[in-house]
Amino acid sequence: MRHRLAGLRSALAIAIAAGLLAPTLVRGQAWTPARTPDGQPDLQGFWSNVSITPLERPAELAGKEYFTDRELAEVEKQAEKPKGVEVLGGTIAHYDFLQFGLDQTQAKHALNHRTSLIVDPPDGKIPPLTPEAVKRAAARAEARKHSGAGPYDGPENRPLSERCIFMTEGPPMLPEAYNSNLQFQQGPGYVAILQEEIHDVRIIPLDGRPHVGPNIHEYMGDSRGRWEGNTLVVDTTNFTDKTRFMGSTESLHVVERFTMLDADTILYRFTVDDPATWVRPWTAELPMTRIQGPLYEFACHEGNYGLANTLSAARAEEAKQAGK
Amino acid sequence: MKIVPIVGLILAAAPLWAHHSFSAEFDINKPLKLQGVVTRWELTNPHSWIHLDVKSPDGKTVTWMIEGGSPNSLFRLGFNKDSLPPGTEIMVEGYQAKDGANRAVGAKLTFSDGRKLFLGGSVPGGNPDSAEPPAKK
Repeated sequence: MRHRLAGLRSALAIAIAAGLLAPTLVRGQAWTPARTPDGQPDLQGFWSNVSITPLERPAELAGKEYFTDRELAEVEKQAEKPKGVEVLGGTIAHYDFLQFGLDQTQAKHALNHRTSLIVDPPDGKIPPLTPEAVKRAAARAEARKHSGAGPYDGPENRPLSERCIFMTEGPPMLPEAYNSNLQFQQGPGYVAILQEEIHDVRIIPLDGRPHVGPNIHEYMGDSRGRWEGNTLVVDTTNFTDKTRFMGSTESLHVVERFTMLDADTILYRFTVDDPATWVRPWTAELPMTRIQGPLYEFACHEGNYGLANTLSAARAEEAKQAGK
Repeated sequence: MKIVPIVGLILAAAPLWAHHSFSAEFDINKPLKLQGVVTRWELTNPHSWIHLDVKSPDGKTVTWMIEGGSPNSLFRLGFNKDSLPPGTEIMVEGYQAKDGANRAVGAKLTFSDGRKLFLGGSVPGGNPDSAEPPAKK
Protein backbone atom coordinates (compact mmCIF):
# COMPACT_ATOMS: atom_id res chain seq x y z
CA MET A 1 0.00 0.00 0.00
CA ARG A 2 2.79 2.36 0.96
CA HIS A 3 4.54 1.64 -2.33
CA ARG A 4 1.38 2.08 -4.31
CA LEU A 5 0.79 5.43 -2.66
CA ALA A 6 4.37 6.49 -3.33
CA GLY A 7 3.96 5.50 -6.99
CA LEU A 8 0.71 7.41 -7.26
CA ARG A 9 2.34 10.40 -5.61
CA SER A 10 5.22 10.62 -8.05
CA ALA A 11 2.89 10.08 -11.01
CA LEU A 12 0.70 12.91 -9.75
CA ALA A 13 3.67 15.17 -9.09
CA ILE A 14 4.89 14.63 -12.65
CA ALA A 15 1.43 15.25 -14.08
CA ILE A 16 1.03 18.43 -12.05
CA ALA A 17 4.49 19.67 -12.93
CA ALA A 18 3.74 19.07 -16.60
CA GLY A 19 0.55 21.07 -16.25
CA LEU A 20 -1.56 18.10 -17.31
CA LEU A 21 -3.97 18.36 -14.41
CA ALA A 22 -6.17 21.16 -13.20
CA PRO A 23 -6.60 23.62 -16.05
CA THR A 24 -5.01 26.98 -15.44
CA LEU A 25 -6.96 30.20 -15.49
CA VAL A 26 -6.48 31.37 -19.05
CA ARG A 27 -7.54 34.77 -20.23
CA GLY A 28 -7.00 35.68 -23.86
CA GLN A 29 -3.67 35.15 -25.52
CA ALA A 30 -0.42 34.48 -23.69
CA TRP A 31 1.02 37.78 -22.55
CA THR A 32 4.60 38.63 -23.35
CA PRO A 33 6.00 40.67 -20.49
CA ALA A 34 8.64 43.38 -20.88
CA ARG A 35 12.25 42.44 -20.07
CA THR A 36 14.52 43.64 -17.32
CA PRO A 37 17.93 45.03 -18.45
CA ASP A 38 19.45 41.59 -17.84
CA GLY A 39 16.80 39.90 -19.97
CA GLN A 40 14.40 38.41 -17.40
CA PRO A 41 10.65 38.72 -17.89
CA ASP A 42 9.82 41.78 -15.80
CA LEU A 43 7.55 41.03 -12.83
CA GLN A 44 8.71 44.05 -10.88
CA GLY A 45 6.40 46.35 -9.05
CA PHE A 46 3.76 46.26 -6.36
CA TRP A 47 1.12 43.56 -6.17
CA SER A 48 -1.86 42.65 -4.03
CA ASN A 49 -2.71 39.03 -3.31
CA VAL A 50 -5.98 39.90 -1.61
CA SER A 51 -8.61 37.35 -2.52
CA ILE A 52 -12.28 36.98 -1.77
CA THR A 53 -12.10 33.37 -2.96
CA PRO A 54 -11.80 30.80 -0.16
CA LEU A 55 -8.90 28.35 -0.17
CA GLU A 56 -11.26 25.37 -0.09
CA ARG A 57 -14.52 25.08 -2.01
CA PRO A 58 -17.54 25.50 0.29
CA ALA A 59 -19.75 22.41 0.55
CA GLU A 60 -22.72 24.18 -1.03
CA LEU A 61 -20.68 24.77 -4.20
CA ALA A 62 -19.55 21.13 -4.52
CA GLY A 63 -19.04 20.15 -8.14
CA LYS A 64 -18.99 23.79 -9.30
CA GLU A 65 -15.51 24.86 -10.32
CA TYR A 66 -16.27 28.29 -11.79
CA PHE A 67 -18.79 31.07 -11.33
CA THR A 68 -20.46 32.47 -14.41
CA ASP A 69 -19.91 36.17 -15.11
CA ARG A 70 -23.30 36.93 -13.57
CA GLU A 71 -22.65 34.88 -10.46
CA LEU A 72 -19.24 36.44 -10.04
CA ALA A 73 -20.78 39.90 -10.27
CA GLU A 74 -23.11 38.91 -7.40
CA VAL A 75 -20.20 37.50 -5.37
CA GLU A 76 -18.27 40.74 -5.87
CA LYS A 77 -21.31 42.77 -4.86
CA GLN A 78 -21.68 40.77 -1.66
CA ALA A 79 -17.97 41.15 -0.94
CA GLU A 80 -18.26 44.92 -1.18
CA LYS A 81 -20.62 45.02 1.78
CA PRO A 82 -18.50 46.34 4.60
CA LYS A 83 -17.77 43.90 7.34
CA GLY A 84 -17.60 46.41 10.14
CA VAL A 85 -16.98 44.14 13.09
CA GLU A 86 -14.86 41.22 13.96
CA VAL A 87 -16.67 37.91 14.08
CA LEU A 88 -14.64 35.53 16.17
CA GLY A 89 -16.02 32.24 17.39
CA GLY A 90 -19.52 33.58 17.06
CA THR A 91 -18.79 36.61 19.24
CA ILE A 92 -19.17 39.95 17.57
CA ALA A 93 -16.66 42.23 19.19
CA HIS A 94 -14.35 45.13 19.01
CA TYR A 95 -13.22 46.87 15.82
CA ASP A 96 -15.10 48.78 13.24
CA PHE A 97 -12.78 47.58 10.51
CA LEU A 98 -14.29 49.91 7.98
CA GLN A 99 -13.13 52.96 9.95
CA PHE A 100 -9.59 51.70 10.19
CA GLY A 101 -9.39 50.72 6.55
CA LEU A 102 -8.83 47.12 7.47
CA ASP A 103 -11.72 45.49 5.67
CA GLN A 104 -11.20 43.87 2.31
CA THR A 105 -13.74 46.09 0.61
CA GLN A 106 -11.04 48.75 0.60
CA ALA A 107 -8.32 46.54 -0.84
CA LYS A 108 -7.88 46.01 -4.55
CA HIS A 109 -8.15 42.41 -5.71
CA ALA A 110 -8.14 40.58 -9.03
CA LEU A 111 -11.33 39.01 -10.33
CA ASN A 112 -11.33 35.23 -10.02
CA HIS A 113 -14.07 33.05 -11.49
CA ARG A 114 -12.94 30.07 -9.44
CA THR A 115 -15.01 28.94 -6.47
CA SER A 116 -11.90 27.85 -4.54
CA LEU A 117 -8.21 28.69 -4.69
CA ILE A 118 -7.47 24.95 -4.68
CA VAL A 119 -7.57 23.64 -8.26
CA ASP A 120 -6.28 20.14 -7.55
CA PRO A 121 -7.67 17.85 -6.16
CA PRO A 122 -10.59 18.73 -8.43
CA ASP A 123 -13.02 18.83 -5.48
CA GLY A 124 -11.22 21.97 -4.27
CA LYS A 125 -10.40 20.48 -0.87
CA ILE A 126 -7.10 19.90 0.92
CA PRO A 127 -6.41 16.15 0.59
CA PRO A 128 -6.88 13.95 3.67
CA LEU A 129 -4.10 13.80 6.25
CA THR A 130 -1.92 10.72 6.32
CA PRO A 131 -2.41 8.40 9.34
CA GLU A 132 1.04 9.61 10.46
CA ALA A 133 -0.11 13.24 10.44
CA VAL A 134 -3.23 12.42 12.43
CA LYS A 135 -1.11 10.59 15.00
CA ARG A 136 1.36 13.48 15.13
CA ALA A 137 -1.36 16.04 15.87
CA ALA A 138 -2.83 13.80 18.58
CA ALA A 139 0.60 13.26 20.15
CA ARG A 140 1.21 17.02 20.18
CA ALA A 141 -2.12 17.68 21.87
CA GLU A 142 -1.39 14.94 24.42
CA ALA A 143 2.09 16.34 25.15
CA ARG A 144 0.59 19.79 25.70
CA LYS A 145 -1.93 18.35 28.15
CA HIS A 146 0.79 16.76 30.28
CA SER A 147 3.45 19.44 29.99
CA GLY A 148 1.82 21.57 32.67
CA ALA A 149 2.33 24.58 30.42
CA GLY A 150 -0.71 26.64 29.56
CA PRO A 151 -1.10 28.56 26.31
CA TYR A 152 -0.87 31.87 28.20
CA ASP A 153 2.05 31.06 30.51
CA GLY A 154 4.56 33.24 28.71
CA PRO A 155 5.42 34.80 25.36
CA GLU A 156 6.96 31.57 24.06
CA ASN A 157 3.60 29.85 24.46
CA ARG A 158 1.84 32.31 22.18
CA PRO A 159 1.48 31.79 18.41
CA LEU A 160 4.24 33.10 16.12
CA SER A 161 1.85 35.68 14.68
CA GLU A 162 1.13 37.24 18.09
CA ARG A 163 4.86 37.36 18.72
CA CYS A 164 5.41 39.26 15.45
CA ILE A 165 7.66 36.48 14.18
CA PHE A 166 5.73 34.98 11.31
CA MET A 167 2.27 35.33 9.81
CA THR A 168 1.20 33.77 6.52
CA GLU A 169 4.24 34.71 4.45
CA GLY A 170 4.79 31.12 3.40
CA PRO A 171 5.73 30.03 0.87
CA PRO A 172 3.13 29.32 -0.28
CA MET A 173 2.03 32.95 0.01
CA LEU A 174 -1.62 33.18 0.99
CA PRO A 175 -3.45 36.48 1.52
CA GLU A 176 -2.91 38.23 4.85
CA ALA A 177 -5.87 39.57 6.79
CA TYR A 178 -4.84 43.09 5.77
CA ASN A 179 -1.79 44.87 4.32
CA SER A 180 -1.68 41.95 1.90
CA ASN A 181 0.82 43.69 -0.34
CA LEU A 182 3.93 42.46 -2.12
CA GLN A 183 6.85 44.02 -3.94
CA PHE A 184 8.85 42.16 -6.59
CA GLN A 185 12.36 43.36 -7.30
CA GLN A 186 14.72 41.76 -9.85
CA GLY A 187 18.45 42.05 -10.38
CA PRO A 188 20.90 39.99 -12.40
CA GLY A 189 20.48 36.41 -11.21
CA TYR A 190 17.95 37.16 -8.48
CA VAL A 191 14.30 37.80 -7.75
CA ALA A 192 13.37 39.29 -4.37
CA ILE A 193 9.84 39.24 -2.97
CA LEU A 194 9.04 41.58 -0.10
CA GLN A 195 5.84 41.04 1.84
CA GLU A 196 4.51 44.06 3.69
CA GLU A 197 3.07 42.06 6.57
CA ILE A 198 5.22 41.36 8.43
CA HIS A 199 8.09 42.82 6.46
CA ASP A 200 9.75 39.63 5.27
CA VAL A 201 11.81 39.41 2.13
CA ARG A 202 12.62 36.27 0.19
CA ILE A 203 15.74 36.46 -1.98
CA ILE A 204 15.59 33.84 -4.71
CA PRO A 205 18.75 32.96 -6.67
CA LEU A 206 18.23 31.95 -10.30
CA ASP A 207 21.66 30.50 -11.07
CA GLY A 208 20.76 26.83 -10.62
CA ARG A 209 22.68 26.36 -7.38
CA PRO A 210 21.51 23.45 -5.23
CA HIS A 211 19.44 23.87 -2.07
CA VAL A 212 21.31 24.34 1.20
CA GLY A 213 22.28 21.20 3.12
CA PRO A 214 19.69 19.03 4.89
CA ASN A 215 20.69 20.28 8.35
CA ILE A 216 19.69 23.86 7.62
CA HIS A 217 16.05 24.79 8.23
CA GLU A 218 14.46 28.19 7.72
CA TYR A 219 11.09 29.73 8.58
CA MET A 220 10.47 30.60 4.94
CA GLY A 221 12.44 27.63 3.62
CA ASP A 222 15.20 27.76 1.04
CA SER A 223 14.02 29.02 -2.37
CA ARG A 224 15.63 28.44 -5.78
CA GLY A 225 14.19 29.93 -8.95
CA ARG A 226 14.35 29.40 -12.68
CA TRP A 227 12.57 30.73 -15.75
CA GLU A 228 10.44 28.38 -17.84
CA GLY A 229 9.66 30.66 -20.77
CA ASN A 230 7.91 33.64 -19.22
CA THR A 231 7.01 31.76 -16.04
CA LEU A 232 9.08 32.10 -12.89
CA VAL A 233 9.26 28.73 -11.13
CA VAL A 234 10.40 28.74 -7.49
CA ASP A 235 11.25 25.53 -5.67
CA THR A 236 11.38 25.71 -1.86
CA THR A 237 12.56 23.09 0.65
CA ASN A 238 14.39 23.11 4.03
CA PHE A 239 11.45 24.35 6.12
CA THR A 240 11.35 24.28 9.91
CA ASP A 241 8.69 22.39 11.84
CA LYS A 242 7.83 25.65 13.60
CA THR A 243 5.85 27.28 10.82
CA ARG A 244 3.74 24.19 10.00
CA PHE A 245 1.82 25.25 6.93
CA MET A 246 -1.58 23.60 7.50
CA GLY A 247 0.05 21.05 9.80
CA SER A 248 2.99 20.24 7.53
CA THR A 249 6.46 19.12 8.66
CA GLU A 250 9.95 20.25 7.72
CA SER A 251 9.76 17.90 4.72
CA LEU A 252 7.31 20.31 3.06
CA HIS A 253 8.14 20.95 -0.59
CA VAL A 254 6.60 23.96 -2.36
CA VAL A 255 6.73 24.72 -6.08
CA GLU A 256 5.41 28.14 -7.08
CA ARG A 257 4.74 29.44 -10.58
CA PHE A 258 4.39 33.14 -11.43
CA THR A 259 2.99 33.95 -14.89
CA MET A 260 1.89 37.37 -16.12
CA LEU A 261 -1.56 37.19 -17.71
CA ASP A 262 -1.54 40.85 -18.70
CA ALA A 263 0.29 44.05 -17.71
CA ASP A 264 -1.54 44.20 -14.37
CA THR A 265 -2.09 40.55 -13.42
CA ILE A 266 0.20 37.76 -12.26
CA LEU A 267 -1.25 34.27 -12.01
CA TYR A 268 0.25 32.74 -8.88
CA ARG A 269 0.06 28.97 -8.71
CA PHE A 270 1.59 26.71 -6.11
CA THR A 271 1.85 22.99 -5.46
CA VAL A 272 2.60 21.76 -1.96
CA ASP A 273 3.72 18.26 -1.11
CA ASP A 274 4.57 16.70 2.22
CA PRO A 275 4.38 12.89 2.27
CA ALA A 276 4.35 13.06 6.08
CA THR A 277 1.20 15.20 6.06
CA TRP A 278 -1.11 14.72 3.06
CA VAL A 279 -1.95 11.60 1.08
CA ARG A 280 -1.14 13.48 -2.14
CA PRO A 281 0.23 16.84 -3.33
CA TRP A 282 -2.24 19.69 -3.86
CA THR A 283 -2.31 22.81 -5.97
CA ALA A 284 -3.93 26.23 -5.67
CA GLU A 285 -3.84 29.37 -7.75
CA LEU A 286 -4.84 32.97 -7.36
CA PRO A 287 -4.45 36.03 -9.54
CA MET A 288 -2.49 38.96 -8.08
CA THR A 289 -3.28 42.46 -9.20
CA ARG A 290 -0.95 45.43 -9.64
CA ILE A 291 -1.29 48.16 -7.02
CA GLN A 292 0.21 51.56 -6.39
CA GLY A 293 3.32 51.55 -4.25
CA PRO A 294 5.07 52.06 -2.07
CA LEU A 295 5.04 49.34 0.55
CA TYR A 296 5.41 50.64 4.09
CA GLU A 297 7.60 49.24 6.79
CA PHE A 298 5.77 46.92 9.15
CA ALA A 299 7.91 47.01 12.29
CA CYS A 300 5.65 44.61 14.14
CA HIS A 301 7.69 44.43 17.35
CA GLU A 302 7.68 48.20 17.64
CA GLY A 303 4.18 48.54 19.02
CA ASN A 304 3.27 45.03 19.96
CA TYR A 305 1.55 45.95 23.24
CA GLY A 306 -1.01 43.30 22.36
CA LEU A 307 1.25 40.46 23.50
CA ALA A 308 1.83 42.04 26.93
CA ASN A 309 -1.88 42.85 27.25
CA THR A 310 -2.82 39.27 26.43
CA LEU A 311 -0.46 37.88 29.06
CA SER A 312 -1.50 40.39 31.74
CA ALA A 313 -5.14 39.54 30.98
CA ALA A 314 -4.31 35.89 31.72
CA ARG A 315 -2.55 36.84 35.00
CA ALA A 316 -5.58 38.91 36.05
CA GLU A 317 -7.85 35.96 35.29
CA GLU A 318 -5.64 33.63 37.35
CA ALA A 319 -5.69 36.04 40.30
CA LYS A 320 -9.47 36.22 40.06
CA GLN A 321 -9.74 32.42 40.05
CA ALA A 322 -7.30 32.13 42.99
CA GLY A 323 -9.29 34.65 44.99
CA LYS A 324 -12.52 32.69 44.66
CA MET B 1 -29.00 31.41 -9.03
CA LYS B 2 -29.10 30.89 -5.31
CA ILE B 3 -28.00 33.82 -3.22
CA VAL B 4 -27.61 32.03 0.09
CA PRO B 5 -24.63 29.84 -0.87
CA ILE B 6 -22.84 32.88 -2.25
CA VAL B 7 -23.21 34.72 1.05
CA GLY B 8 -21.92 31.61 2.78
CA LEU B 9 -18.95 31.66 0.48
CA ILE B 10 -18.04 35.21 1.36
CA LEU B 11 -18.19 34.50 5.07
CA ALA B 12 -16.03 31.45 4.55
CA ALA B 13 -13.54 33.60 2.68
CA ALA B 14 -13.09 36.08 5.50
CA PRO B 15 -9.56 35.63 6.82
CA LEU B 16 -8.55 35.93 10.45
CA TRP B 17 -8.92 39.60 11.12
CA ALA B 18 -6.09 40.49 13.37
CA HIS B 19 -2.66 39.39 14.38
CA HIS B 20 -3.90 38.67 17.90
CA SER B 21 -7.09 37.53 19.52
CA PHE B 22 -9.17 40.46 20.71
CA SER B 23 -11.04 38.24 23.12
CA ALA B 24 -7.77 37.28 24.88
CA GLU B 25 -6.89 40.92 25.40
CA PHE B 26 -10.10 42.86 25.84
CA ASP B 27 -13.31 42.16 27.74
CA ILE B 28 -16.51 42.01 25.73
CA ASN B 29 -18.33 42.47 29.07
CA LYS B 30 -16.60 45.79 29.74
CA PRO B 31 -17.86 48.11 27.00
CA LEU B 32 -17.06 51.75 27.61
CA LYS B 33 -17.53 55.24 26.23
CA LEU B 34 -14.83 57.82 26.79
CA GLN B 35 -14.57 61.48 25.92
CA GLY B 36 -11.16 63.04 26.18
CA VAL B 37 -8.30 64.98 24.72
CA VAL B 38 -5.59 63.36 22.62
CA THR B 39 -2.14 63.73 24.15
CA ARG B 40 -0.22 61.41 21.83
CA TRP B 41 -0.76 59.09 18.89
CA GLU B 42 1.66 56.18 18.57
CA LEU B 43 1.64 55.22 14.92
CA THR B 44 3.13 51.79 15.42
CA ASN B 45 2.47 48.44 13.83
CA PRO B 46 0.74 46.09 14.23
CA HIS B 47 -1.68 48.53 15.89
CA SER B 48 -1.71 52.26 16.50
CA TRP B 49 -2.37 53.55 20.03
CA ILE B 50 -4.04 56.81 20.95
CA HIS B 51 -3.25 58.29 24.36
CA LEU B 52 -6.24 60.13 25.73
CA ASP B 53 -6.69 62.31 28.82
CA VAL B 54 -10.16 61.72 30.23
CA LYS B 55 -11.64 63.85 33.01
CA SER B 56 -13.54 61.78 35.53
CA PRO B 57 -16.63 63.21 37.30
CA ASP B 58 -14.54 64.02 40.42
CA GLY B 59 -12.29 66.26 38.34
CA LYS B 60 -9.30 63.95 38.18
CA THR B 61 -7.62 63.34 34.85
CA VAL B 62 -7.01 59.73 33.87
CA THR B 63 -4.88 58.74 30.89
CA TRP B 64 -6.22 55.98 28.68
CA MET B 65 -4.53 54.10 25.83
CA ILE B 66 -6.75 53.17 22.92
CA GLU B 67 -5.79 50.49 20.41
CA GLY B 68 -6.55 51.28 16.78
CA GLY B 69 -5.86 49.98 13.29
CA SER B 70 -2.56 49.39 11.52
CA PRO B 71 -0.86 52.65 10.46
CA ASN B 72 -0.05 51.11 7.06
CA SER B 73 -3.76 50.87 6.31
CA LEU B 74 -4.44 54.33 7.74
CA PHE B 75 -1.70 55.91 5.59
CA ARG B 76 -3.36 54.44 2.51
CA LEU B 77 -6.59 56.09 3.58
CA GLY B 78 -4.84 59.45 3.66
CA PHE B 79 -3.95 59.74 7.36
CA ASN B 80 -0.53 60.66 8.67
CA LYS B 81 1.03 61.58 11.99
CA ASP B 82 -0.36 65.10 11.79
CA SER B 83 -3.95 63.93 11.33
CA LEU B 84 -4.69 63.63 15.02
CA PRO B 85 -2.78 66.42 16.77
CA PRO B 86 -2.54 66.61 20.56
CA GLY B 87 -5.42 68.61 21.94
CA THR B 88 -8.03 67.09 19.64
CA GLU B 89 -11.17 66.17 21.53
CA ILE B 90 -12.54 62.76 20.61
CA MET B 91 -15.10 60.19 21.73
CA VAL B 92 -14.25 56.53 21.92
CA GLU B 93 -16.52 53.54 22.10
CA GLY B 94 -14.67 50.37 22.90
CA TYR B 95 -13.90 47.59 25.32
CA GLN B 96 -11.57 47.69 28.31
CA ALA B 97 -8.50 45.49 28.77
CA LYS B 98 -9.16 42.28 30.67
CA ASP B 99 -6.53 43.11 33.29
CA GLY B 100 -8.52 46.18 34.31
CA ALA B 101 -5.86 48.69 33.21
CA ASN B 102 -6.81 51.96 31.54
CA ARG B 103 -6.38 50.47 28.12
CA ALA B 104 -9.10 49.74 25.61
CA VAL B 105 -9.67 48.77 22.03
CA GLY B 106 -11.26 51.59 20.06
CA ALA B 107 -14.21 50.13 18.21
CA LYS B 108 -15.66 53.44 17.08
CA LEU B 109 -13.96 56.80 17.22
CA THR B 110 -15.60 60.14 16.56
CA PHE B 111 -14.81 63.80 16.96
CA SER B 112 -16.80 65.45 19.72
CA ASP B 113 -19.30 66.75 17.13
CA GLY B 114 -20.05 63.19 16.04
CA ARG B 115 -18.03 63.13 12.81
CA LYS B 116 -16.18 59.88 12.34
CA LEU B 117 -12.47 60.10 13.05
CA PHE B 118 -11.20 57.59 10.51
CA LEU B 119 -13.36 57.82 7.46
CA GLY B 120 -12.33 54.50 6.01
CA GLY B 121 -14.16 53.86 2.77
CA SER B 122 -15.02 57.47 2.05
CA VAL B 123 -11.61 59.06 1.65
CA PRO B 124 -9.26 59.07 -1.36
CA GLY B 125 -7.98 55.57 -1.86
CA GLY B 126 -10.92 54.03 -0.08
CA ASN B 127 -13.71 52.20 -1.80
CA PRO B 128 -16.45 54.77 -2.47
CA ASP B 129 -19.07 52.04 -2.73
CA SER B 130 -18.54 51.10 0.88
CA ALA B 131 -18.81 54.61 2.27
CA GLU B 132 -21.31 55.16 5.01
CA PRO B 133 -23.27 58.39 5.25
CA PRO B 134 -21.74 60.86 7.71
CA ALA B 135 -23.01 60.52 11.27
CA LYS B 136 -25.84 62.90 12.13
CA LYS B 137 -25.06 65.56 14.66
